[in-house]
Amino acid sequence: MMLIQIIRKFNLLILTLFVLSILSFSLVYLFPGDPLVNLTGLKDVSPETRQYLLELHGFDGSYIYQYWLYLNNLVEGQWGLSFSSDKPLWEEISQTLPASMELSAYALLLSLIIGVPAGFLAGFQHYKQSDYSLLAASVIGYSMPVFWLSLIMILVFSLQLGWFPLSGRISLLFDIPHQTGFTFIDIFLSDFEFKDAAAMSALQHLILPTLSLTIVTASIIFRITRRSVIDVMASQYILTAYTRGLSSLQVVFRHGVRNALIPIIPIFGMQFAVLLTNAMIVEVIFSWPGIGNWLIQAIYQRDYPAIRAGMLAVSTIVIIVTVCTDLFAKLLNPALTGERRAQI
Amino acid sequence: MALLDIKNLTLEINGSTGWIKALDKVNLRIEEGEIRALVGESGSGKSLIVRAVVGAIPENWRLTADRLTWKGRDLLKISQSERRKIMRSEIAVIFQNPVASLDPSSTLGEQLIESIPGHILKGKWFWQRSKHKQQIAIKLLHKVGIKDHKKYLKAYPNQIADDIGQKFLIACALVSSPQLLIADDPTRGMEITTKIQILKLLSQLNKTRNLSILFVSHDLLAISSMANKMTVLYCGQTVEDGKMEQLRKRPLHPYTKALLDSAPSFRKDLPPKSPLSTLDGTIPTLQHLPIGCRLGPRCPRAQRECVKVPELRYVQDHFYSCHFPLIREKE
Repeated sequence: MMLIQIIRKFNLLILTLFVLSILSFSLVYLFPGDPLVNLTGLKDVSPETRQYLLELHGFDGSYIYQYWLYLNNLVEGQWGLSFSSDKPLWEEISQTLPASMELSAYALLLSLIIGVPAGFLAGFQHYKQSDYSLLAASVIGYSMPVFWLSLIMILVFSLQLGWFPLSGRISLLFDIPHQTGFTFIDIFLSDFEFKDAAAMSALQHLILPTLSLTIVTASIIFRITRRSVIDVMASQYILTAYTRGLSSLQVVFRHGVRNALIPIIPIFGMQFAVLLTNAMIVEVIFSWPGIGNWLIQAIYQRDYPAIRAGMLAVSTIVIIVTVCTDLFAKLLNPALTGERRAQI
Repeated sequence: MALLDIKNLTLEINGSTGWIKALDKVNLRIEEGEIRALVGESGSGKSLIVRAVVGAIPENWRLTADRLTWKGRDLLKISQSERRKIMRSEIAVIFQNPVASLDPSSTLGEQLIESIPGHILKGKWFWQRSKHKQQIAIKLLHKVGIKDHKKYLKAYPNQIADDIGQKFLIACALVSSPQLLIADDPTRGMEITTKIQILKLLSQLNKTRNLSILFVSHDLLAISSMANKMTVLYCGQTVEDGKMEQLRKRPLHPYTKALLDSAPSFRKDLPPKSPLSTLDGTIPTLQHLPIGCRLGPRCPRAQRECVKVPELRYVQDHFYSCHFPLIREKE
């Protein structure tokens, strides 16, 4: 049963990725301009090279043959060149994507740490003052636009109070070689002399963008959790557990928490997509060298190969995260294991 | 002394149009060893009475009563923990829709074992105690007629049938050998064969353990086969209360009569293909309750006096609340 679930989710992942790769391949033709240029990113090539490239990418064959070669190139990491920088796209993406993932992961983690306990608190205190005040706070947090919030944060904490740096990922004083793309791991791996100072600087740079993302996401997670807790606590089995003479604490911890969490974990996974979109905006404002910033620059400059590759990379990440959380929630739910009773 | 004694229980719900009396001066008494049926249409407040007794009333509802006592102790005045103690050891409840009454994410065994109170366990060490818990659980399952305990103790609620679920809940209820079992429509939506099994189990428990049962249902056939006494509820008001045979033979309240007439199995003289008798209209919604006797607009015998709530009257131990009871026809 467990294995079937895993295989099923894996199938879903493969199929979705397949459709995505078809979409990204069709963009080669759908974007304006020469398909060969859109695919390789090489402009102004000599006729001989052009002939060679046409053959290399199978432009003399059918679309299906071209798609097959495209898939092979994707797997080998030959995603073409960027118009604007003339660098390989794979290299650019592998530098920018970890920065975005780092930002989103910290924001998601912080949102979970704030949102879930607050949601439980409000759910258990339903109809009471603390519930209403937390709910009011979440409405405020939920309705603030991310870009506006980031700008206000910069205005207050960077410009007026001067507590945090304005932009970037780490102070320019520190020259940390790029290895994994995750700042803290890179700092740890480097043989740099002042690791503490570098980590401190990275942390300071991280706080404002993470906070701007967290406020919105935590409000959403809070609201989802609260609703789920209220629904579970009003359910028949909680009432029955009380009538069986269990104490409130026993009821809440043995029957409340797990049942409230099971349905909402996949929803948290879905929130990751929203979070990544918000992260793109935040990256632009904080000049965070992430994929969102990079992609928006590519869109400004009509860098078609970059748009194609960036779209593919971002959507792949989103799909993998969604499917994984889905699978995780399924595995966490013990009621799904073992034989099931047929329903009429 | 009565086990459970309820006098003038009123439950108000804060609706959009102000406070609504969902239960209006309800009276109910359960003696030791009797099976009392609580009968009424859906929405008449049967389940609310159950919730009031077990204390599962949301904080935004208002509960008042002249008397709500369990063996002489006022349930409204004692503390939460004392009340929980009573619920744990003396009163047990089973609900309609048994599968929904079980936590979907833990096994039946876990749920049965956690309701075993600590003081009845033998052994000093936790392994001895947990072994004893297992033994108690298995014994209880056998008692309620679940033979395949190995399979069901490990099952999750979504894997079991309704009747197994209800038997299992009865097993949970019997853990602490209670004196009163409140069964809130335990056979709703069950097939006739499983229903009979559950009803037989309940009457057997009543005889062998001297267990009092408050049987809440609208299934008159099931009730008449097992109950000694009956309380009829309409729209949150008790309309009649008395011994089962007396009520069946000669109902005093027009509603009780209509209720009994509406069940074809009670009318042997009913010719085939004749229309079944019903009261006109439907049970009013909580927002549009009539004043006075709530049956008023639907009652075939209603007169001007019915806008006042009738006093509770009685003939021997047969209580009714009506200005124009069916008794007058005989005079």
